[in-house]
Amino acid sequence: MTPQIETAGLGFVYPDGTRALEGVDLRIGSGELVAIIGQNGSGKSTLVRHFNGLLRATEGTVSVGGMPVARRHVAELARTVGVVFQNPDRQIFAGSVRREVEFGAGNLGYRGADLARRVTDALALVGLGDAVRHNPYDLGFSRRKLLAMASVLAMGTSAVVLDEPTTGQDARGVDRVRAIVRSLVDEGRTVIAISHDMRFVVEAFPRLVVMRAGRIVLDGTPEEVFAEQEWPVLASTFLEPTLAARVGAQRGLGSTPTEDALIAALRGRGGSA
Amino acid sequence: MPDYVQRPPTEPYRSLNPTTKLAIALTEALVAFVVRGWTGPLVVLAVVLATGLRAGVWRAFLPFLLATLPLIASILLVNTFLYPGATDLIARIGPLAPTWTGLVFATQAALRVIAFAMSVALLGLTTRPDHLIADLERRGMGRRAGFVLGATLRTVPRIGERAREITDAQRARGLDTEGSPWRRARGLVPLAAPLVFGALSEVEEVTMALEARAFSAPARRTPLRSFPDAGWQRALRWTLLALSLLAIAGSVSGALAFLP
Amino acid sequence: MTLQLAAATYRYAGAAGPSLHEIDLELAPGDLLGVVGPNDAGKSTLCLVAAGLAPATIQGQLSGTVTIDGLDTRSARPHELAQRAGILFQNAVTQLSGTSATVWEEIAFGPRNLGLARAEVIERVEEAAARLAIADLCARDPERLSGGQAQLVALASILAMRPAYLLLDEPTSQLDPQGTRLVGEALAGIAARGETGILITEHKTDLLDRLCTSVLVIEEGRIARQGAAAEILADPGLPAAGVEPPARVRLMAAARAAGVELDPEPP
Repeated sequence: MTPQIETAGLGFVYPDGTRALEGVDLRIGSGELVAIIGQNGSGKSTLVRHFNGLLRATEGTVSVGGMPVARRHVAELARTVGVVFQNPDRQIFAGSVRREVEFGAGNLGYRGADLARRVTDALALVGLGDAVRHNPYDLGFSRRKLLAMASVLAMGTSAVVLDEPTTGQDARGVDRVRAIVRSLVDEGRTVIAISHDMRFVVEAFPRLVVMRAGRIVLDGTPEEVFAEQEWPVLASTFLEPTLAARVGAQRGLGSTPTEDALIAALRGRGGSA
Repeated sequence: MPDYVQRPPTEPYRSLNPTTKLAIALTEALVAFVVRGWTGPLVVLAVVLATGLRAGVWRAFLPFLLATLPLIASILLVNTFLYPGATDLIARIGPLAPTWTGLVFATQAALRVIAFAMSVALLGLTTRPDHLIADLERRGMGRRAGFVLGATLRTVPRIGERAREITDAQRARGLDTEGSPWRRARGLVPLAAPLVFGALSEVEEVTMALEARAFSAPARRTPLRSFPDAGWQRALRWTLLALSLLAIAGSVSGALAFLP
Repeated sequence: MTLQLAAATYRYAGAAGPSLHEIDLELAPGDLLGVVGPNDAGKSTLCLVAAGLAPATIQGQLSGTVTIDGLDTRSARPHELAQRAGILFQNAVTQLSGTSATVWEEIAFGPRNLGLARAEVIERVEEAAARLAIADLCARDPERLSGGQAQLVALASILAMRPAYLLLDEPTSQLDPQGTRLVGEALAGIAARGETGILITEHKTDLLDRLCTSVLVIEEGRIARQGAAAEILADPGLPAAGVEPPARVRLMAAARAAGVELDPEPP
């Protein structure tokens, strides 16, 4: 099956000579749920900017929907890949929540009742249905983040990239983000998230891609990535295994990255440790 | 105190007191514009280029020169072909009627712009902004003025980066920046508004951060370093001031009209 | 001598109602107090009020009293407050003055504003940099640092004011794991000296679990719960208050619920 997003030997060097990506081979299938993790500066944000053409590969190729991105404008790629950036205040410009959410879908050509429906659905999904007429800056920072997300979700792209969706969110906000991700997956959309939040990532994403210094160093399920033999690799990226993983390894229970996995393993062993 | 904070530069021209270099730049810029004809710009250009050579920044002048090219080109074109009232045609090319008067005027204007740009470039290439601000503060410039000046100089790259982030986010939402000019014009508000809102909302944060570091304390700010100054430099600065005033007076009164 | 809030109620200028209600709080040198709560519960406001920036710099109405080592924040000048209570915000970049060519000069910014003798400015900068082990960053351009490094520089710049109290408003929320660790270690080091009273608001309860001696929970501008860190963070009512318990606590609770025995080592 054709992957929805594919990179082959992708390399990127900034005009000033700094290398940000090297030899990145990545295949993301339609409807997949993937988290990209790594330190700041590991290339995560640079990588996803190649998915909608904001950055162009200096080596290798990038394909979206089976076709190379080479001569396609960002405005065109934005129909397939929606990217929600980390800082909502670097994009919010409208006087009302409604008009802010309309922006993306409006740019793609949606109008009238269709546009209104998309806006309503997106706002309901992120929990801002009651704030439709508010000024975005009357909302707190974490709700503005959700607003930025809604404005991309309303575009109806088949792939959605979320850059640090849980940063700055409190517990309820994180729950909301989890629910949003689940809805998107139910709709069949491809969801790619960049995150530092290890717990969020291991519990919600069946595939983790770990980056360091512009390269992919690990690519697999949470069990595979947090298995004890990979800990030195994680350490080299300054990432720590979750507590559940550490406890599981300590008790010889195999790779138990999530709390549920650890509890299940303990039960399996006979209920005590 | 570490070297990099302490040591003033020692190379030729750079080693001059920052305020002296500022005075030189201001005088050069003034004379280039105020003294009409060929004399003003050519004299200034000669001085700046000679100084630049001595200071070793000749090659670095080039980007500044290139930056003036669009302006120079338009000045030359507009004035050569459209100088009002000129009749000494160079040639007739269809409907176009370039005149010598126009060309002369255009060239002088172009030289003024170049001379101005070069004198600013010379200052920028040989003087660190924080050194200049520190010296001005030592001479009595208030800390607020110094802060605004310094922060402005350092803000420019920060704004550039921020503008890039905003553009990325809006393009990711389908804003067309590669299509027709009409479509691109529609993108002005989504691109400019977040910049403005961001700057405004930061004002409060920045104010608080400054107050948290006693910015409004009544005491006189401790100078970290002083820049060598000399009697002859002081004399030079006063002379430059006098020269500037004379140039203005002479130009306004027409006394300098005898200069080519 | 302590930092004390007594029945402190604060309303932002132009706001419909107060953001803080009747807060009673005392912070002594050597304390490390964690503050948790949902967003918009008043954690940031608490830091601003405790530091005296509210109302001294941002206006608004304060009732009750806030004193820092006896100095009433309502009548104090901002620079007097700055020398007693230092405050650190989430965004490292806006805290940098933007006028310094090197980190060294950035740290010197505050002491210079106080008009201290040059020798003392130098001493304070060296001391702050040494305390946070960032002497190797001193020659760098402050605008070219990683998020974690920038926060450390901002922290050093505050330490150079020699405040007896530090108020930190989600200092690691925008940092990656490495940056979070850098700041966490720096804070542990400061706390270990026992000279400074620290108040830190955070969502990362794992961090607070490691650092803090006591924790208070803020909800809708009021203190809902207060006590020893281990006790408050283990409270099963925490999630209902919109706060994510530390991993250790969650794991224990999940094990208990599943009828499985577990005693993990502390994180």
